[in-house]
Amino acid sequence: MSTILSELAAGIPQTIGITLASFVVAAVLGLPLAVLRRSELWLVRLPAVVVVEVLRAVPPIVWLFLIYYSLGSTDQVRLTTLQAAVIGLGLIYAAHLSEAYRAGLDAVPVGQWEATRALALPRAQTYARVILPQALVVVVPPMATFAIALLKDSAIASVIGATDITFHAVQLTQQDLNGLGNFTVAGLLYIALGVPFALVARAADRVLSRRLVGV
Amino acid sequence: MTAESRPLLALDGVCVAYRHHEVVHDVSLEVASGEVVALIGPSGAGKSSLLRAINFLEPPSKGRVLLEGAEVGGSRRSLDALRRDVGMVFQSFNLFPHLTALQNVMLAPVHTLGVPPAQARERAMQQLTHVGLADHAHVKPGKCSGGQQQRIAIARALAMEPKVMLFDEPTSALDPELGAEVLATMRSLAAEGMTMVVVTHEMHFAEDVADRVVFMADGRIVEQNAAGKLMRDPQHPRTQRFLNAVRNR
Repeated sequence: MSTILSELAAGIPQTIGITLASFVVAAVLGLPLAVLRRSELWLVRLPAVVVVEVLRAVPPIVWLFLIYYSLGSTDQVRLTTLQAAVIGLGLIYAAHLSEAYRAGLDAVPVGQWEATRALALPRAQTYARVILPQALVVVVPPMATFAIALLKDSAIASVIGATDITFHAVQLTQQDLNGLGNFTVAGLLYIALGVPFALVARAADRVLSRRLVGV
Repeated sequence: MTAESRPLLALDGVCVAYRHHEVVHDVSLEVASGEVVALIGPSGAGKSSLLRAINFLEPPSKGRVLLEGAEVGGSRRSLDALRRDVGMVFQSFNLFPHLTALQNVMLAPVHTLGVPPAQARERAMQQLTHVGLADHAHVKPGKCSGGQQQRIAIARALAMEPKVMLFDEPTSALDPELGAEVLATMRSLAAEGMTMVVVTHEMHFAEDVADRVVFMADGRIVEQNAAGKLMRDPQHPRTQRFLNAVRNR
């Protein structure tokens, strides 16, 4: 058990790296997608809708193959497995997160928008100072759910050769044929890594809600 | 028309429509500087829609809005220029719940007008003092009574140093006692010479504070007159019916 653990532990940095980097990509790209999707102009809204729906409709494993074996293997561009995984999972989760952002933006009462318009508050300040702080409270719980889902989906990166926990479990099993032990430990590792996400999310939720109600 | 007699605010043939359903039909109205105009009438008369058309929260489907003789155009820049000069107080306050009273009042002066924060803070404190809430400067709206919230909202609008203040049923969401403190604040504003357009169901306020009362029904102005005259001696049968109904409640 402890030898399995020490073998699989070598994959932890790669698993955490893929998860965190993809999450940052998703968190950043998801916001403009959400804002564009709420536009009153269909010409602006439509491309965002198409991008989000296509990203979500194709299985993550297909995206990773597509990115790694085609886009990432041309003469000009050569992606590492880590880069390909972060691009693919980052984009897919940007689409998922944009939906969470959209729900958050929709949850801000229309009166808040009207107040900013009546005060002629510039658009950037409207989002930064008024809308996003209130939307965030609604977005944090689903964000945490997506972070944990992303942690689990990061295992897909092992099929293109990213040396994460799952990759090491597969390698080890090919040597010792102890699939039950190896993958049980891998599963426990994923559970353990997910706990901090849940705790951070719960704490953030508490702090944000308190800030909104005011003390 | 000479510069002196030019109205501060003028609506010329304004219509407001939601989708294809018109709720305000061809309304023209002039408001002089320092004048307090009360808009009264039954629910669904289009009072709020008309008020919201003034600062384009509901862009007029037809007609023109003129501020100091200049027509307000449809561009964002033109709208922002108008909105800087036109303060708005909402029925449901619409304060920013995550910001303190002081931050609520400071926000637009700093980010819309570009006032340096230290100066904006000082001015915001003056406005809060003005509405009697200096001691609530560092409290968030959620901890304030409805009356206090509405007075903070008034301070927030005043901090832009507007030329006109619009009030959209400012006491309708409040119980009578809390409404009274908001009305007192509005009275003192009127006494200081602020130009105000007030949609209200408070008939005493309309009669005592407004210079002119405009009665609307079915999306049109039915009758308007000096406040005392319209309230005591309405000419139009529709106005008489409304005022009788309200008084005999």
